[in-house]
Amino acid sequence: MTYILQLVTAGLAVGSVYALIAIGIVLIYKCSGVVNFAQGAFVMMGAYLTFAASRLGLPPVLAVTLALVLMAGIGVLAERVVLRPMLKAPVVAVMMVTLGMLIMIRASCLAVWGPDPLAFPRIFPDGALELFGVFITYNYLTAGVLSILLSLGFLGFYRFTAVGLMQRCAADNPRAALAIGIHTSNQVSLAWAMSAGLAGVGGTLLATLNGLSLGLADIGLIAFPVIVLGGLTSLGGALVAGLLLGLLQSFTDGLLSPMIEDLLRAHTRIYSVGALQQVVPYALLVAVLLLRPQGIFGRKGSERL
Amino acid sequence: MSIIRALKVSVLAGTLFAAGAFAPGSGSTAVAAQDVSVCLWGTITGPDAILNGMSYGARDYFEYLNQFKGGIAGQKVRTLLLDGRYKLDEELKIYRRCVDQEQAVFVSGWSTGAVKALRDQIAQDQIPFMAQSHSSEVLDPVKLPYIFIPGPTYEQQMVIALRALKQQGGKTVAVMHPDNEYGRGPVNVVRQSGLIEKTGLKLADTIEFPFDTQDLTAQMLRLKSRNPDMVYVQASTPQLLVILRDAAKVGLPAKLFVGNMYNISAAIPEQLGKGAEGFRTIQIYADFGADIPAMKEIDAFRTKNEIAKQDVYYMKGWFQGIVMAKAIENAIAKNGGKIPDDIRSFRKAVRTEMTSLRSLDVGGIVPEANYDTHQGTTLARIAEIRDGRYVPVSDWIDAR
Amino acid sequence: MKRAHFIVGVAVAAAVLAVTPFLDRYVAYLVTIVAISSIGALGLNLLTGLCGQISFAQAALMGIGAYTAGNLCNAGLGLFAIPLGGLAAATASVVIGLPALRLRGLYFAIATLAAQFILEYLFKILEPLTHGISGLLIRPPTVLGFAIQDDRAYARLAVALLFLVWSGIGVLRATNLGRSFLVVRENEIVARGMGIDVARTKFWAFLLSGFIAGIAGAMSGIASRLANPEAFSFALSVDYVAMIIVGGQGTLTGPLLGAAFVTLLPEAIQRIGELFNTPSILSALREFAFGMLIILFLIFEPLGLMAVVRKLRLRLTASKPGGKSPAATTEAV
Repeated sequence: MTYILQLVTAGLAVGSVYALIAIGIVLIYKCSGVVNFAQGAFVMMGAYLTFAASRLGLPPVLAVTLALVLMAGIGVLAERVVLRPMLKAPVVAVMMVTLGMLIMIRASCLAVWGPDPLAFPRIFPDGALELFGVFITYNYLTAGVLSILLSLGFLGFYRFTAVGLMQRCAADNPRAALAIGIHTSNQVSLAWAMSAGLAGVGGTLLATLNGLSLGLADIGLIAFPVIVLGGLTSLGGALVAGLLLGLLQSFTDGLLSPMIEDLLRAHTRIYSVGALQQVVPYALLVAVLLLRPQGIFGRKGSERL
Repeated sequence: MSIIRALKVSVLAGTLFAAGAFAPGSGSTAVAAQDVSVCLWGTITGPDAILNGMSYGARDYFEYLNQFKGGIAGQKVRTLLLDGRYKLDEELKIYRRCVDQEQAVFVSGWSTGAVKALRDQIAQDQIPFMAQSHSSEVLDPVKLPYIFIPGPTYEQQMVIALRALKQQGGKTVAVMHPDNEYGRGPVNVVRQSGLIEKTGLKLADTIEFPFDTQDLTAQMLRLKSRNPDMVYVQASTPQLLVILRDAAKVGLPAKLFVGNMYNISAAIPEQLGKGAEGFRTIQIYADFGADIPAMKEIDAFRTKNEIAKQDVYYMKGWFQGIVMAKAIENAIAKNGGKIPDDIRSFRKAVRTEMTSLRSLDVGGIVPEANYDTHQGTTLARIAEIRDGRYVPVSDWIDAR
Repeated sequence: MKRAHFIVGVAVAAAVLAVTPFLDRYVAYLVTIVAISSIGALGLNLLTGLCGQISFAQAALMGIGAYTAGNLCNAGLGLFAIPLGGLAAATASVVIGLPALRLRGLYFAIATLAAQFILEYLFKILEPLTHGISGLLIRPPTVLGFAIQDDRAYARLAVALLFLVWSGIGVLRATNLGRSFLVVRENEIVARGMGIDVARTKFWAFLLSGFIAGIAGAMSGIASRLANPEAFSFALSVDYVAMIIVGGQGTLTGPLLGAAFVTLLPEAIQRIGELFNTPSILSALREFAFGMLIILFLIFEPLGLMAVVRKLRLRLTASKPGGKSPAATTEAV
């Protein structure tokens, strides 16, 4: 039982970061119809910027804030310089251009900070506590709780504030939004800024858990099953799907893989099922696409194409 | 009509491009060897770059000979260090460039996957090859007479750790490795050889994980539930950082884990702090900065050049440089002090001289080098992280 | 395809074949890689350029071709292994493509992404067929008693295959099926109105595109004597999409230009960088240039290198007295 609880904790902690990143992707997609492959790169870049800021001697809170602001700027820059000229381009081309951004940002980080994993500053205190037999480090706990709070806070902002309302208008019906005086293209820039900023904070939290390396960008690809499961346009769906996927991966690693492997080792010469947790999200994705293309939480017709 | 023109343009462009970019090497197949060329590839960028000191070390030794000793037998050595990026296709491409365009007399290459994929071609091409990989699957003086490795195989290193566990009264061992050739290959060899059972131990579990892993918390929980007396890790430093970090997350101590030769890195105690205390690993080469004669040469070299990665892997590279240079030097000496005219006979001679190296003094980086077995040395010792430093905790153990 | 195009193609292929014996191994290997990439890009172009469906599973399809051909080659089937590898990949392509009749655009792209990762995983664990992570060693195929095991022989074989695929697609474009591809890409409703069976057309696009990808994969397996999961990763799929974007989607010769460009650009940057002795920055520079290239082409020249070539040519002819008017020469290539 303790084992299951441990797995749940691990799954939720990682899942909460997935959620945070998936929300960013959904936000951009809702507002501008762009599927942003570069979100993983924003995550990585945010973590590197926090690292660089604290190297300059800034206290953690300031360093994260500075990274957030810089990332928001990069988001706006990406939207204005790269995506705005592609307004009328086919979906395929837009996807590819964001992939181009991913490659470029990764290369920049490689050039500046090198290929080796780096020591990320300790933002949260060391130590651990035991709850119902579950061993949790403070670091783990804070990162998980913070990302869930951030995700919820963001959903609240989107739902209850004036800016959030304008965002929703612009996303829902750009023409009508224009007609009632909402500057839709500014709203799109704002969405990119918020999304990149969110990714930056997500990256920082992820780096406190996993350390700082170029590999942080890989999380962008795991986010795609999350957003499809969540229904592409549903922010709440992304949150739930992110947590679900984190749990799923954790249970695959902790229960499913060992079970299958014990069975295989007893009866065959095969001893490993390999990186099963990496494909489980995609297998689920295929199933969902075939059975319920609008996602688990999406509505019919939410596909913009 | 337009396609004709387009094609003409493209063909013209293609030809010019090819001619411009690749002219230096084309047609060089027939040219006789005029210089001593050594071609190396490392992982300058890519997932394993933290260990790249070893390709710098080998390159720098030849540069040291050029700058301080006038080269080998009065000939400057032409070195080329390329970036294989830990990518198989890139490494296969580089190998062809080294053998054919660079007319190298000695080639040194990186990943276990690449060396294993190339092993038959290396025999066919008859090119002396220094592998950075210590896989037993590329060590075979009879079938693979041109491949040399610089120390105990990964499998032998694992056996050293297993025996140490047995001596301390341990009963069960778990093995962890990434899902690439470097990880899975050696573990498979040991599993299938029955060595674990022969040592008197029980294999509690084998856990494979993605090479580019970022999070292994659930695997650590699985490990915790199997409760082994030791966990042997056949991985590189970046994955080891993840393993020890996530072990701390679930309350597994670092002293449970034993790594191999590629886990001696200042990054581990630096990034994990107390979480790295007690972690043990296999050491083959002397530390950078150790009080040995080779270090004096390195210090002399350092006055004029910058050394990018000052660690135990740089020492490994320097060691490889010494033995490769010695074989080349002996081959030239046997030929009356002249470089053989024909690159093929030059390569063959270097291979022969390499296998005749016995009890070679390598400035203390390892006790001595013997290449009749194509392995250089089979000695290793166990080191442990104490107060943020790697400290030897055993004598030199012969891995054979 | 016009007869003149065909003749030029023959001439180019013959010229390349004629020079291969004089190339050194490394250059021969580069020729092989460019030819293989060209075949793969032609295959993807059939789907993306002609049918409007993006696919991120090209590398995985090539992998299926390579593993099938490798196993058959080792069983002694010689060069017949190559078309059979193509058939296996064609089958897989149709299986992946079937959902495409329901999914469009973005969802299809994500589905192919899933297919890529799942197939890559299968390559790693289906040990009996793929030899897992070590990869499947492929013995050189023999033709009439002669083993094809030399880099120059690979180059000749790859160029010959490329010529066959290129001219085959040229012929296809002139058929009713080829034309219906274009109509489906532009507007499915119009296609239906014209009496084109959209589902059937897409089925053929997947089948043919997969077949060609399989051939490219089979050739790459034979040339490297190894089929290994790492060689058919997602990054390679991205490379292929980049090739057709850089070369020019929907054109016949564009993918060839794109393949040459994307394959040789890192090589060129590498050689230039070596002059300045900065190995640690080089790799970053190569990636950076690659990413920037994709972005710049998509923003400024979505029709790729083919359009650049055409514009250059127009400028040249326009400056000459008696040159043809631009309108007369901008035919679809």
